[in-house]
Parts: sequence; structure tokens; C-alpha cells
Amino acid sequence: MSAQRVFAVLLYLYPNDYSALFAGEMIIAFQQGCNEHRIQGRAPFVRFVIAELAGLIIRMPAEWIAKLTTDTSTRGRALPDLRKMRPAGVPYELWFAAAGMNYRQTSLPLEVAQAQERVTFLMNAMVHAINNHDFQAARSYSYEEYRQRDKVELLKKKYGLEQ
Amino acid sequence: MRHVEKQPDVTKTKPLTEPVVFILLSLADEPRHGYALMKDIEALSGGRVRLRTGTLYGALRRLLEEAWIERFQQSDTSREKQAYRLTSFGRKQLQLELDRMKQLTRAASSRLKTREV
Repeated sequence: MSAQRVFAVLLYLYPNDYSALFAGEMIIAFQQGCNEHRIQGRAPFVRFVIAELAGLIIRMPAEWIAKLTTDTSTRGRALPDLRKMRPAGVPYELWFAAAGMNYRQTSLPLEVAQAQERVTFLMNAMVHAINNHDFQAARSYSYEEYRQRDKVELLKKKYGLEQ
Repeated sequence: MRHVEKQPDVTKTKPLTEPVVFILLSLADEPRHGYALMKDIEALSGGRVRLRTGTLYGALRRLLEEAWIERFQQSDTSREKQAYRLTSFGRKQLQLELDRMKQLTRAASSRLKTREV
């Protein structure tokens, strides 16, 4: 098994989002390093490979700890959320048409469905803020949610959906 | 009334790790991709600091999360060769770290001088 292959296999053991973003670049950087050290002789090449593989193994728990302890919103700024990525081969139009399916499946008018979605979003944001002990933000989400619920009620009245 | 921005207190900023300082310094003059960063850091430190691939990308991941650096695709490179550049926030943080270092150096020099006298 070549050094590159071992390196690539070790990268599979890293968190999914991390390897999805960096694996390609890391393999290229490792290959460039290998090529450079191979010219210098066998001993520097072996030393380089051992140090790189050991470094990769040592960093692995740190990356898992970072994944498990970092807030998803913070991590999502840099690393892709694989669950939200459009799978290969699925056309752009089809993927985003499917994203709007919830609105079409319900019998509610679009305006009401969107307002209800907003209530759910605000509730989740409030719970998230409470979990992070950010009570000021939680209060503002709670106030916004209260207003949004009133809006839903008004919209239901408008469309005759009070029952 | 003119808004005057309050200067951040350099003594209260958290010191950065050596690899992070070198990465930020390396990106300060021009954007670079992974391997170019490793080579430049080695040159910057006079061969003393040799970042391993795992260490480099761990630090890059943290810096991306903090929005100190950003990824962008260079027009003449392949998909895997994404380059990194410093954001204005990252540049400010690097400046703060350099100010902290200067302050530390000044304090250390003055202590050494008083000791010699």
C-alpha cells in the first residue's frame, strides 16, 4: 500500500464535513511533499512520511472533539452541512423544487404556511438561545414569536381557517 | 457627534499559537494554497517551524470558522487547489497580536536593562 493510499484512508476517519472540504487539498499537499522529499533520498522521504502520518493520527481526536463541541452554526460558516448539499447528478431545479414541496403538500395557503414556518423557526431559535444561556436573545425571539403567532391567527381569519 | 472607535486593549487579547501567527503572517502579503503556505512558513521561520498537513488544515479550519481567513478559487487552479486569503477582521487580529508582542518585547527589554544597570 502506497503512502498516499494510507494517508487517504486515514482521512476517511476524520469527521465527514472536514474531509469533504479538505481531503482533496490535503492529499495534494502530501503528494507535493512526498515528491520533494523523494528527491532528497530514502531516509528524508521515510522520515517525512512517518511524521505526516503520525501528525494525521494525532490530530484526529482533536478534530472529532472540535466537531462535537463546536456550535453547528459556527461550524457551518466554514464547513459544508452534507445533509443540505445537493447530491451529485440531481439537477438544480429539481433539488430546489423539492425544497418547496412542504408548501404545496399542505392545504394551507402559501402565506399561512410561511407564517407558521416562521413561528417554528423562531421557537427553535429561542430554544437554541436558552441552551446557550443567551437570555437576551431568547427574550427577543420569544417576543417575535408572540407577534408572529398573532399574525398567523389574523391570516387564518382572513382565509376562513379558524377551525 | 463624531463616533470614535474604542481602541482594543492588547493586554486583554488572547495570545495566538505559533502556527496561527505564521499562517496569518504568510497570508498577509498574498493569498496562498495549502502547500505554498507550508513552504512559506518554513522559509519565514528560517526552517524552525515545519507544519504538518494535519496541523495546517486543523488551524485553517479554526481560522475559517472565526472568519479570520476565507477560501476562494483561483482562476488558474483546479478545484482542490483552493487558495486562502486574510479577511479584514483577520488582519486586525494579526495587528493586535503584533502589538501584544511589541509590548511584551518592550517590557522584557526594559527589565533586562534595569537588571544590567
